[in-house]
Amino acid sequence: MSTIVLLLSNIWAKKARSFGLAFAVALAVMTVVVLTVVSSGLESSAAAILKIGKSDFTVAQKNVSDVLFSYLDTHQLAEVRATKGVANAVGALIETERINAANPLFLEIGLPLDELTPFGVHVLAGRPYSANATHEVMLGWRAAEDMGLHVGDGFYANGTKNTIVGIYSTGISFGDLGAIFPLSAVQAYNRVPGAVTLVFVKVAPGYRIGEVEKRITYAHPELTTIRTVTQFGRADRNLVFLKAAATGSTILAVVIGAIVVGNTMMLSLFERTREFGLLRAIGWTRTRVVSLLLGEGMVLAVVGAAVGVGLSYLVTSILQALPQLAGVLHSNYTSEAFWRGLYTGLGMTILGTLYPALRAGFLAPLQALSHE
Amino acid sequence: MNEHHAIAPTLSSQDIEPTGIPVQGGHISALTSESRSNVEKGYASLAIEVIGVTKEFDGGAVRALNGMDLRVERGEFIAIMGPSGCGKSTLLHLLAALDSPTSGTIRVEGQDLSHLPDPSRYRRQTIGLVFQLHNLLPRLSALANIEVAMMGSHRPHRERTVWARQLLSELDLADRERRHPPQLSGGERQRVAIARALANDPPVLLVDEPTGNLDSDASANVLALFARLQREYGVTTVMVTHDPAVAQAAGRILQMRDGRIGDPIGA
Repeated sequence: MSTIVLLLSNIWAKKARSFGLAFAVALAVMTVVVLTVVSSGLESSAAAILKIGKSDFTVAQKNVSDVLFSYLDTHQLAEVRATKGVANAVGALIETERINAANPLFLEIGLPLDELTPFGVHVLAGRPYSANATHEVMLGWRAAEDMGLHVGDGFYANGTKNTIVGIYSTGISFGDLGAIFPLSAVQAYNRVPGAVTLVFVKVAPGYRIGEVEKRITYAHPELTTIRTVTQFGRADRNLVFLKAAATGSTILAVVIGAIVVGNTMMLSLFERTREFGLLRAIGWTRTRVVSLLLGEGMVLAVVGAAVGVGLSYLVTSILQALPQLAGVLHSNYTSEAFWRGLYTGLGMTILGTLYPALRAGFLAPLQALSHE
Repeated sequence: MNEHHAIAPTLSSQDIEPTGIPVQGGHISALTSESRSNVEKGYASLAIEVIGVTKEFDGGAVRALNGMDLRVERGEFIAIMGPSGCGKSTLLHLLAALDSPTSGTIRVEGQDLSHLPDPSRYRRQTIGLVFQLHNLLPRLSALANIEVAMMGSHRPHRERTVWARQLLSELDLADRERRHPPQLSGGERQRVAIARALANDPPVLLVDEPTGNLDSDASANVLALFARLQREYGVTTVMVTHDPAVAQAAGRILQMRDGRIGDPIGA
């Protein structure tokens, strides 16, 4: 009999307890994975806005609670455009609106007609809107497909009925799920004349992106630049709070899980005291006894982690299907989520098992053998 | 008759590891031949030496052993008798390095138990323990109970299994290897426990009331087994018992009284 067979037979001998422990690990892992994939989904959705413009970086107002609350006026936009090294800077007013139950956060972008091409917009059907049109809209091809709309159809948004004059593609799926309006129309509807939410900057050849970013933030301390998803928190504080909450919940799940695992393992220790005493009496080293208990915990942790990841799929699917959350929650299964789940399972099991395992290893064989 | 083959009657070429070492155990082969040699030489050297050992409990309120002296030759089978509480089990625990004396010196196979670098290794390699209540792990098969004792030894896994099977076979338990302790009779359980004690090929067996829970037939079988182990393989055996009939199986019977060994009762 190998050590692993002994370990598995020990686990199998106490099926109910082993199942309970693995389930506790699974619940903790599920919680962590769900929080991770949901926050990651929200982050990637939010950050997807940055990718639409196909720019080198984006300029936003610093430290706003939500990046869509960022506000840059005409003067700031002009100064960004005039910054040395900036080849092109497109100011866009971005908002979200509830269109229907399936589209509770529909993306709406206000862009000047002459900025459509620099922004990476390709008209697939129909035509671009007129420069100062007030009731014209271009629909992203994914959105049009999802809603079954075509050129010439009406589209109720921005407080009015608009006519779909064109279907576009940006090459970015998030952008193709929205609509683009003339900038002036969106500014008028939101009563923010001359304002834009974000400025999408393309750096001129021969200039380093970092240097241009520095020039802008030096000249405008109230602004920040975002180049990567991880920099998104510079502008969007909500995302920072959300990620902090996810991290805090992970730590909490590990601690609670470790307590549950520790409690179960302590029960196991008391039940198996004679066994450990016997093993020590017939020549097992302390290390081997500790390893046995840790090994049992690790096997259950891995099983629990696998079940937890499976459960997380189920839970996120259910959450996404809920009417209240449809279109808001987007799960983003990354390798980080899986690793975090595995680390959580192993971490809480090691934390919970270490003390009982050490107690088992350091039992005095004689006292342990006389344990009732 | 080759005594070595008596304990491993069917050691075949299939049982030879690629290294060329017989799986039945180079160690046990060496041990048994050395032990046989000791038997032939008339117990030339000491297996156990207890010198002035005192063991106190409760801060000196209870003195279980009181300046005890004991010498056991290699290959000897001795029985230590005495009433309950006379210190028999305490002595056995000290010999097994499960406890340490308050004062005095204990040497087993030349090792001073007060200065053991690794007591676990000592318990694994030098002694085999047989308890009154067999202490088998109920969820493991008879075979696995023996193999567990070998975990931590340098024997490869496959070799451990082969050797455990051979031990079971030698103790007439070959057809019981898959049975779990609750499925075995009292005598069978105790024989599995003896096989486990022999698993690491120890030169010394320490036996605590081995027939305490057995009927007379099973007791006789177990005692005959100890006698055979001593006679044929030269295993030094120290058995503690309160039963004079059980003690008769030993070659030397010692009486314990007031924490000391008295004069031999018989030989």
